Amino acid sequence: MTDPAGRDRDRRRSAGGFVRPVRPLVPITSSFFVLLGWGVVAHNSGAGWVQALGDVLAGTLLLGIAGPGVILARVRLEVTAVPSDATVGLPVDLRVVSSSRVRLTPIDPSGPATFVGPARGSSAGSDVVTLVPVRRGVVAGLTVNLASAAPFGLLWWTRRAHLDLPSELHIGPKLGQSVALPRQDDDHAGDSAQRSSRDIGEPRGVRPYRPGDSRRGVHWPATAHSGELMVREMEGPTAEPVVVVVTLPAEVDKAESVAERAFGTLVALFDRGMAVVLTTTEQSGRRTGAVADRRSAGRRLARAVGSGHPGDRDGNIGPPPSGSGPRPSPEGDAATTGVTVTMGQRRRGDQP
Amino acid sequence: MTLIEMVKRANRPGPPENSAALRLACAGTVITGIAACRAEGELSWPVALVSIALVSTGMYLSYRTRSRPLGWLKPILALAALAAFVWFFRQLTGQAFYDVSTVEDPLALLFVWIQVAHAFDVPARRDLSFSLAGSASLMAVAGAQAVDLGFGLYAVAWIGFGLWGLVGMWGSASDGGRIRGRGLVGTVVAVSVLAAAVLAVLPAPHVAGRIDFPANSAGGVGLPGAGGLAGDAGRATEPARAGSPAGRTRVGGFLGFATHLDTALRGSLGTAVVMRVRAQRPSYWIGETFNTWDGESWKVPTKNVPVALFAGSPFAIPPGVDAPVVSNPVAGTSDLQTFYMAQSSPNLIFHADNVIDVWFPARNIYLSGNDTMVSPIALGPGAIYTVRSQVNTATPAQLRSIAGPPSASESPTQARQLRVDLQLPSPYTRAKALAEKITAKKATTEAKVQALIAWIGSHTRYSTDIPPLPPGQDTVDEFLFGNRMGFCEQISTAMAVMLRSIGIPAREAVGYVPGSYNPITDLYEVQNKDAHAWVQVWFPHYGWQSFDPTAVVPLANPSPGATLFHDAGRALKALPLVPLGVLLVLAAAAAIIVRWWRRRPATWALAVARRMERTGRRAGRPRQPDETLNEYASVLDAMSGDTSGTWRALAWLIEASAYGHHEPTPDERHDAERLSRRRLKRARPAPTDAVRPGGVLVPRRDSHGLPPTGGSPSAGGAG
Repeated sequence: MTDPAGRDRDRRRSAGGFVRPVRPLVPITSSFFVLLGWGVVAHNSGAGWVQALGDVLAGTLLLGIAGPGVILARVRLEVTAVPSDATVGLPVDLRVVSSSRVRLTPIDPSGPATFVGPARGSSAGSDVVTLVPVRRGVVAGLTVNLASAAPFGLLWWTRRAHLDLPSELHIGPKLGQSVALPRQDDDHAGDSAQRSSRDIGEPRGVRPYRPGDSRRGVHWPATAHSGELMVREMEGPTAEPVVVVVTLPAEVDKAESVAERAFGTLVALFDRGMAVVLTTTEQSGRRTGAVADRRSAGRRLARAVGSGHPGDRDGNIGPPPSGSGPRPSPEGDAATTGVTVTMGQRRRGDQP
Repeated sequence: MTLIEMVKRANRPGPPENSAALRLACAGTVITGIAACRAEGELSWPVALVSIALVSTGMYLSYRTRSRPLGWLKPILALAALAAFVWFFRQLTGQAFYDVSTVEDPLALLFVWIQVAHAFDVPARRDLSFSLAGSASLMAVAGAQAVDLGFGLYAVAWIGFGLWGLVGMWGSASDGGRIRGRGLVGTVVAVSVLAAAVLAVLPAPHVAGRIDFPANSAGGVGLPGAGGLAGDAGRATEPARAGSPAGRTRVGGFLGFATHLDTALRGSLGTAVVMRVRAQRPSYWIGETFNTWDGESWKVPTKNVPVALFAGSPFAIPPGVDAPVVSNPVAGTSDLQTFYMAQSSPNLIFHADNVIDVWFPARNIYLSGNDTMVSPIALGPGAIYTVRSQVNTATPAQLRSIAGPPSASESPTQARQLRVDLQLPSPYTRAKALAEKITAKKATTEAKVQALIAWIGSHTRYSTDIPPLPPGQDTVDEFLFGNRMGFCEQISTAMAVMLRSIGIPAREAVGYVPGSYNPITDLYEVQNKDAHAWVQVWFPHYGWQSFDPTAVVPLANPSPGATLFHDAGRALKALPLVPLGVLLVLAAAAAIIVRWWRRRPATWALAVARRMERTGRRAGRPRQPDETLNEYASVLDAMSGDTSGTWRALAWLIEASAYGHHEPTPDERHDAERLSRRRLKRARPAPTDAVRPGGVLVPRRDSHGLPPTGGSPSAGGAG
């Protein structure tokens, strides 16, 4: 039986590569010449005090040169708090606790360098590390570059380390431009397409508020009546959902671009009050599922991996066929945008 | 990148340094360096005070203007630095030699003024690091002159400021990083250990390759009587009064550094440092030699007229005026010794054997026939002189090659010298018989000397606490055939007389033993109690060779590391171990109590919960990290077979107290504590089924005493 405390300790110890000095030539050469000069003075004067001070100087320089390596090898880092969602290109803050003061540069996902660890005027709490992710994905760990010159700042040492996150970080795409959306059947009035229904589905009743519920769903009369926060509970939408098919290319940058447009499209559909089923064509096949809001859409797109051979499990390739039933968007050409919006029909054989 | 671009890049000003503490630390190192130079006489008081004031002002001004440095200041500072260099090189003009000893005073001043000028322009961290590093040069200049442990105060202050500054540098570079107390202690310990390791590994620095050697009269005035001996008070018969008059003799100080050495009594010698010696190897520092023995005292022959040497430093010392020619000297090495007088001293010029040159702060010195060098000026505290000797100590094998004592027929000089060095006031029949008996089977002079030393070592005892001999009592007879107890003068005199009685030339030498070696200052610290007397024996071809029958253990070259460890061992042995042990035990007990106090449960609920966990742990079922107290209580109930859920009730009470604002009543508390202390049987593997004595299978029941649902059909069916 393993020791849970030991396992926890091992998890907190940041794994990573070897420590190595950064541009060591100048500090080491300078130290060597300082000590050489000092030795010449000691030898020429024959003074024991000069040698004694030189010994202290040598000890200080040795510690200043080698000490950061030891400190860096022994430093313990732990990510204590991480948000569950982030967006490409937007900063996201993590909380990190470090046993020693080190400069931390996030590499993957990337971010600006910052110092973490004990500092003057701060309690022994955690420090904020900011990430600015450049790609979508679900991140379970951070690759960082650690650097230190403690305790004297004479020579910097660095090492690569991997930090486990306490929970997954979903990095969704940027909000791109929506593809042109098809007109709805009942949208005969000029402004009806812009009408946005705030409540999706049919009201079923009220229930106590749960974390994550939209504040728009708060039922104030029931809240006032019961004395606790109550929200409306809805039945699922009776109308057929909109199916958005996203075909992610294998090339990373193009896949990002497609994901951004898809996200923009999904948000536009949410704003119209439509129920949406998102189908992503990925490396592992088609994945289909309902997405209820921006967060779930962002998470679905964060997990989506580009495919070199787009196709579903039935062997269908490309956007859904046009004809009766689902009507493709007039401008939503999958060949150019990778995003297809069809109204009101779920494809058979999609993997939920 | 061109050179100009590289220089521009290197000189690019850094961001302004906002840490006042870092500036304070850097200013502290510079001011400490200036103070150390002043303490070692490198700077005058006005210069030191003005420079300290200017450095402080400059540092403050730099701090105030760190964000907007004064543009007009830089050219002025550059000009000031240039002027300092010009002044320095003008000071050196006309100097015959350019080594550290001739340039150190101007060099110290140059370093100080560079630091002063620089202090006005230190807006950034890099500028402060230059101040920090530059202060080391001041400490080097001061340390080169330091000969006592008083410099340690400055060294400790400088090291303290320096470490503070370096840690501050890291704090500044790491955006306010700080090193915790434990880290700071670790840093200091690491620096100390590394420094001690370097000290232990490196050999001691010895004066070598220098062109000029220190000599300083320290204001010593001329003495009357050309070449005459003068004690501390300037009189020839005065002994050195470095010790307090105490003991049985009521005489303070060593009686030997005078015109005669009375062996009947010994003065009480104190531990005051008489002088410090920087030397390449430990030696007996000879002050004077005697060759006329009258049964009670050694005397310098009155006909011995000192010869004045007027060559000026360095004084070349010729071979002994009346001494026989050393025809086959040992090819030795040069041995430099610099003597730093710490107290008023007799006007003897101390030295190791076989002096070649003397650097002395006077126009002349005197040399007597018995190889004694005499100063014409009084030697007070601060007087310095340097002596170079030729180490020609013959090896035992070389001495064994000499078959017998010198013959008077070799030369008239030798015959005359032999008469002096074999002189005895009486036949010393018993001493001679004893010496002949001891050396009967020894063929060579060296073997005879060693046999006598061995005999003295095994048959006599050393003591300074013996009453003075009555007047007229022969010291040698009393020592050899009386109580055989005496001090170094009596021991060495007895040996010299025995040697003379069997025809071996010998004489008495007085001076100091090397003293304790200080690895920090690299100086031998000679105390008054180190005054000593020993024997010199003449060997044909090799000259006078020293033998110390009082201490037959040969001396070894010092090693700083070995000396430190040896001293540390001695210090440890000298420690009051029992009181220290008691203190350590008390400290450990206090630490345990403090630790327990800090970790004690903050609330009643926590205390009971811990007790509950302890009970479970003792029963072999510790609480898992992901287990709530309620779940754990259920497990304990199951283990104990308690169907009423006592542990769960206890858990409920704990949680209600901790989180539910439910303050338990005294009865509840009492019951809960009693329950939490209840012993729990060690967990045993639960049987799958129980077998009644009748052999009928029954399904096992859960903790509530109910049969499990969905049990195996066989078990259920059997029931």
